[in-house]
Amino acid sequence: MEQEIDKEIKELVIARLKTLPDDKEVSIGSDGEFTKEQLIDHVKKNDSIGQKMVDVEMNFLRALKEGALFEQ
Amino acid sequence: MNRTILVTRPSHDQTTRCISAWAGEVLDFAVKRGDTVIDLAKDRANRKEFESVLDKKDPSMVFFNGHGDESRVGGQDNETLVDTQNSSRLSGKVVYALACKSGQLLGPVSIEHGTAAYVGYNEDFIFMTEPDKRTHPLDDKTAALFMGPSNQVVISLLKGQTAQEAHIHSRKAFFRSIRKLMTSKTSLADSSALRFLYWDATVQACYGDGRM
Repeated sequence: MEQEIDKEIKELVIARLKTLPDDKEVSIGSDGEFTKEQLIDHVKKNDSIGQKMVDVEMNFLRALKEGALFEQ
Repeated sequence: MNRTILVTRPSHDQTTRCISAWAGEVLDFAVKRGDTVIDLAKDRANRKEFESVLDKKDPSMVFFNGHGDESRVGGQDNETLVDTQNSSRLSGKVVYALACKSGQLLGPVSIEHGTAAYVGYNEDFIFMTEPDKRTHPLDDKTAALFMGPSNQVVISLLKGQTAQEAHIHSRKAFFRSIRKLMTSKTSLADSSALRFLYWDATVQACYGDGRM
């Protein structure tokens, strides 16, 4: 069950990352700059960058659900 | 009142080139207000010069730009400028670290060692850029969405606000960027920055409540 949820979350994150523009990059500290395709590859590999993207996306989706984007 | 601000601006990779260029915007603001700015840019952002300026000039504020981790902040070529072992050197100063993760450990430890206030990030500071603006980072409107709210910390401190107030104003600036991107006029490409803006707003942290 837990594995299924993890798989679903990963698919959700990849789907959301696909909406990133092709002509921009994401800078993640000393790890460097990443294109959309590179970030998706990291999520598929489930490495530290991929896990970071999962954290970022889930943090944002929770905020959307809770209306936290309008808190300020 | 004339105050002295020490800024470290390494420039050895794309991330440090971009954040150091944007830090220059607040330095101009400080100079116009009559403050003294000591700018350790590029190769000058090394530990020897950093410690020398701390000893000789006793700045009231330190503004780090660079790479970091839980326990340290780096300068040029990522040489450690300050870590949990020597953070007592920041005693009495207000610190803003535009660096990843240093809010986790270095921030609270430096407060224990006498730092007046420490604003930093508990996780990675993540931002989006336009690769075709690499040589002119100040023309990068996507990076500007992130750097404006970050610079707000320093602007608020220069205006005499406390670190907690500066932290709150910076978070509000992040949320202003977020709201701006949530309008129907914003393209999907631009609104892709939302997730990272919200991330940076939530991982920014403030310890202590001193002012310059």
